[in-house]
Amino acid sequence: MIREVVIVGGGTAGWLTAAVLASRYKSATEQDGGSPLASQSAFKQSNSGYSKAGHSKAAQGINITLIESQDIPPVGVGEGTWPTMRSTLQEIGISETELFQSCDASLKQGTLFREWLKNDGHHYYHPFTPPAGFHEINLAEWFHEFGESVPFAQAVSPQAAVCDQQLSAKQISTPEFGFNLNYGYHLDAGKFVEVLKKHCVEKLGVRLLRDHVTSVNCAEAKGSQKGNITSLHTKTSGAIHGDLFIDCTGLGGYLIRQHYEIGSVDLSSVLFNDRALAVQIDYEQQQNISSATLSTAQQSGWVWDIGLSSRRGVGYVYSSQFCDDEGALNTLRGYIEATASKGVADSIEPKKIGFSPQYLTRFWHQNCVAVGLSAGFVEPLEASALILIEMSAKAIADAILLEGDALNIAANKFNDDMTYHWEKIVNFLKLHYVLSQRDEPYWAANRNADSIPHSLQESLAIWEGRVPWHNDTPRSDELFSSASFQYVLYGMNFKTKPNITFRRDAEKLKTKAKGYFSENQKASAKWLSVLPENRTLSDKVKQYGFPKL
Amino acid sequence: MPQHVLVNHQDHAAVKVLDCHSPELSESSNFTMVFPTEFRDVQSQYPIFFQKNSDTGQLYPVALLGFEPGENMYLDNSGWNASYIPLMERKQPFFIGFTNSGSDTSENDNGHPNGSSMVVTMDPDSPRVNHANGKELFHADGSPTEFFNEKISVLEQVHYGYEHSEKFVAAMIENDLIEQFVLDIQLNDGSVKQLLGFYTVKEEAVQNLSAEVLGKLSESGFLMPLFMVLASHSALSGLINKKVALEAKP
Repeated sequence: MIREVVIVGGGTAGWLTAAVLASRYKSATEQDGGSPLASQSAFKQSNSGYSKAGHSKAAQGINITLIESQDIPPVGVGEGTWPTMRSTLQEIGISETELFQSCDASLKQGTLFREWLKNDGHHYYHPFTPPAGFHEINLAEWFHEFGESVPFAQAVSPQAAVCDQQLSAKQISTPEFGFNLNYGYHLDAGKFVEVLKKHCVEKLGVRLLRDHVTSVNCAEAKGSQKGNITSLHTKTSGAIHGDLFIDCTGLGGYLIRQHYEIGSVDLSSVLFNDRALAVQIDYEQQQNISSATLSTAQQSGWVWDIGLSSRRGVGYVYSSQFCDDEGALNTLRGYIEATASKGVADSIEPKKIGFSPQYLTRFWHQNCVAVGLSAGFVEPLEASALILIEMSAKAIADAILLEGDALNIAANKFNDDMTYHWEKIVNFLKLHYVLSQRDEPYWAANRNADSIPHSLQESLAIWEGRVPWHNDTPRSDELFSSASFQYVLYGMNFKTKPNITFRRDAEKLKTKAKGYFSENQKASAKWLSVLPENRTLSDKVKQYGFPKL
Repeated sequence: MPQHVLVNHQDHAAVKVLDCHSPELSESSNFTMVFPTEFRDVQSQYPIFFQKNSDTGQLYPVALLGFEPGENMYLDNSGWNASYIPLMERKQPFFIGFTNSGSDTSENDNGHPNGSSMVVTMDPDSPRVNHANGKELFHADGSPTEFFNEKISVLEQVHYGYEHSEKFVAAMIENDLIEQFVLDIQLNDGSVKQLLGFYTVKEEAVQNLSAEVLGKLSESGFLMPLFMVLASHSALSGLINKKVALEAKP
């Protein structure tokens, strides 16, 4: 029975997980409908290792303690979210307005990939809004017949045109969390952690323990396996007991990797990037904010460019196998010189990040589950870091009331699900490289058959004969739907053999498709005329806030 | 936004203002802003709903004047046909401005820059403003006429109304009493006209308010206006009947 949850690590993963759990379940010390502040004082009374016996029998709930070490600064990766963050924030109870006012947020409507196909200015969008009529017709099948005068994303969604003009996804009169076009956020990861922490501690009754974990006490090992964790020993607060321990300690994976020695799936033969240089760049006076994450392919990797309301976050992620740190710095400088100025480019002092692309073979082991970087890390090409935290936290929340065998089954299912999602992420990221026609050694190596997962090769073989559709991405919680595959494939000029003439209802479908293409052109024109610039919206939200309805 | 000028007896001694209403003189809109302080007078004549300011996203109460953009069913060449005319219509062509060391700095009725004082400004390009017909603003000795004093009094009510209105709307939203709605109007030929983009008070939610919340609303002076909004909805059927009759004409 899980009643005491201990989260180790006060980064985005730790606090976001705490917020998801604590917003779903009340703590045992909290009275029904009582104020969370009351539970705060209860925590203080029983400072360390508060005992279960201390709770009255009537109290039903889950106590959450987060151990945050002052010695370890949070990594703060993940400044781009998916649209799922909107519902996550709503569940947690953090207002969208606060995100703008406290985390320098701006609206993100997708990613613009530049020069991924060829080094010739080619670019395409992967927007968050699926193609028009996605529920009833596969518009991609008709793209070649009607749409080819414009790129795929522009032909099937108004979002590409809106992003081209750096417009926002909604108006100031659109209610909080409501949208005209689907969106996620760009936000300051460091400030986001602070907002989550404050909300968890002040509103949700999460107990914050500022301490450093020094060792793990675990139950008698069965055979060669280590048993459940019983408590964590801390530098100043003694033993912290718990029923479930969530490892949010970052790449090191203090519990899951160091204590339990769970291995990982090495991805370095598929995804070559293992280094990043990251900087923050100030805007020129009143410069507009980009509506999409900009991803610009380079000689041995790609540069991300994320527009917050206060600054840009820019970084070069590359492969050390193909590029040394000096070369990487020059590439990053070149990008910044082109997008800001030579002065800015010369003065940067980027933060260096090294990583090996991998994910765990087991994410939930005994009574320990890994969330965030401890679970795995790959390059931020599709901003998968935060969404995986959201998914993991919600899955843990779904499982946490289970007991005995049911809990074990849920833990196994969690492992299966996460493995599934990681495999899909790897394939989807690799797809971007496989379709490239760039000829530098890094890009050529990325197209070596040895480096392409078998399942991706199979999918590509099928897609040469028919376009991706719902059954290619069958799960309801799929990270990348067939719409995403379509945007990347046809954004990068992938050719699917037209076979529509074989269809019995070809004429009927043709009329319908034609209608959607022309409707989309009208929708694009409409949104271009009514949506404000992304910067204008950010400024207005700071001043007025989003309306509640 | 039109360029507003500070009204004074030197510049505007000869100015005359048409103090009447007609389709030529009034802005054509199917709603006009109203204030909780005038709801009691508004509700007997007009349905009160809410609209969003497209520039700020904030909700504000309005009197519904018609069902289509630009349609004001209270207004024709004979004038404004209602026993009560909302403050915002009566204040035309004047605005509240704020001065800072003598120079006009604001043209918003609801702006309050610090250390500034309220003054009356005017839209000189308004069709109401001329030198031939209408009422004078100043006597020969430079003192304001009764007409101008009336207008100043209306502006003062508007100024106070803004602040009160914002608080009233905030309280409505806080207690989850407002929702968006769509009004379908069945015309005689069977076709349906839709009124979109307005917000209304949730009557059921009002009925379910706790005594505690009711008490708080009452203390803040929001309870009476809230009930006035509900009462105003009986004015809707009259407006609909008028619309149906209007559409039935060849």
